[in-house]
Amino acid sequence: MAKQSPSEQLDKVVSALLGRPDAPLPRDGASRLFNPSFGPVIEVIRDLINLPRADFKARLKADLEKEGSQVDGESSLGDRRASMATQAEKRVNYMREGFHSITPYLIIPAAARLIDFMKTAFGAEERFRVGRPGAENVIMHAEVKIGDSMIELADANPQFPPTPATLLLRASDPDAVYNRAIAAGATSIEPVADREYGARGGSLRDVCGNTWDISIPLPGSKIFEDFRSVTPHFNPARSADFIEFLEKAFGGEETYRAQSPEGRILHAQVRIGDSVISMGDAHGPYQTKPSTLHLYVPDTDSAYQRALGAGATSIQPPADQPYGERNAGVQDPFGNRWFLATHLRDFQPPAEAS
Amino acid sequence: MKAPTKEPASPSGGAGEKLLVAAAQKDPARFTELYEANFERVYAFVLRRVSNRSDAEDVTAEVFQHALANLKTFEWRGVPFVAWLYRMAGNAIADRWQRVSREQGTAAADDPPDPHARAIPEEVEQRALLFRLVGTLPADQRRVVEMRFAEEKSIREISQEMKRTPGAIKQLQLRAIRSLRAQLDEKPGMRTSKTHG
Repeated sequence: MAKQSPSEQLDKVVSALLGRPDAPLPRDGASRLFNPSFGPVIEVIRDLINLPRADFKARLKADLEKEGSQVDGESSLGDRRASMATQAEKRVNYMREGFHSITPYLIIPAAARLIDFMKTAFGAEERFRVGRPGAENVIMHAEVKIGDSMIELADANPQFPPTPATLLLRASDPDAVYNRAIAAGATSIEPVADREYGARGGSLRDVCGNTWDISIPLPGSKIFEDFRSVTPHFNPARSADFIEFLEKAFGGEETYRAQSPEGRILHAQVRIGDSVISMGDAHGPYQTKPSTLHLYVPDTDSAYQRALGAGATSIQPPADQPYGERNAGVQDPFGNRWFLATHLRDFQPPAEAS
Repeated sequence: MKAPTKEPASPSGGAGEKLLVAAAQKDPARFTELYEANFERVYAFVLRRVSNRSDAEDVTAEVFQHALANLKTFEWRGVPFVAWLYRMAGNAIADRWQRVSREQGTAAADDPPDPHARAIPEEVEQRALLFRLVGTLPADQRRVVEMRFAEEKSIREISQEMKRTPGAIKQLQLRAIRSLRAQLDEKPGMRTSKTHG
């Protein structure tokens, strides 16, 4: 009988065991195992037959991730005992309190003016502001709250050029809000009217170049159902490409898509973490406008790597920040800038600490 | 400052595992870290009582989904987290067993599984360790092992997919299996192989 190489012989054993795990092992003419050195590996082969599929493990993990984001943690159930225990261990949520997964970060000229505008037009509440030392009217970082949503903003500079955004604002009385915004200096894009997709709304450009679409769903309409007060909106040339990127880079999940007969995406929604972003293919006055977003993730380092793997380029590699976050920055292939962050500990803003 | 995600929790629990559980109880999105640390053990445990891959996957998924939904009720009582998962796995298997008996119109089988095995046999730990070790093999060896065993592909299919000769695939298979054996033998407390024949 022709002498077979060890790898050939071993494969015979594997094939026999795969066919029937308890099958008698192939033997040579003298009723011995092909190769006595295989004795020790047979147990390994028998166990490997039950090896879990890697894609099952990955799929189940993705399912659990999704379910986990929908299950209430103890903190939100107000279980005092548990929250005391976790406080004792100094573990904090990866998102800062009051924030959601996604926060629009408006980088614009004259940020201080925009804060005033948002207060007057939208009833925004200023929560935090740091001016540049010696030039307090130049805002390095500020936070305002509109309804249930946070917006961050800063003055543009050579390192961070302006990236005004398009924001969808839910308002119970869009006519009144629209009129207040115009009175506060905004420019109309579309006056408020009933829209065929089941909302009443209008759009305008604010004093710093951001576009606001102010609307309320019409009675019985389910549109914007899971939107917060403020939802970032995008107009990429091809939304389908953007959606694919969001899925790969940030684990986004497409939750809605309306297409024209020619295949143009009129409106789509993608859920990332606990937030939703909205988009539609660029058209008319709604053209591609790269923006900047702050995205809370459970682990900045792995999210950063994943985004790079999906085609983003690095703006800044992960690093711990003095304000209690680990941050990284990437730019997506559509020009949007994403600041990934994991909240590590609570930071006392100097204004509040004093 | 970061959660101890790199090293899986040790089988006997420990401070790292306790932190992971506390973090997941507060923020269920972090449950996946516990999942990563315990997946192979639960799967290996389930394998003792179910005979095919799809049942093993169903029960494993059920265990982790149930654990996530009930994580708030988990309390430390000096037993490792995985013992809690084994208990759920035992229940899930017992339920399945009863359902099958009912559907087939037979009385409960003569040999019902012992769902709450008193001691977790070494065999479960050994298998779980082997499954984890597969993940540490060089990429080409790992792919061959995954395709050959988990995806049940033939040498020819693997050779087409990996664009290597069948001989090269068999060589990678041999190296992978020998390396797994050697690594299992290095782990203290693990059996050396049994003899067969």
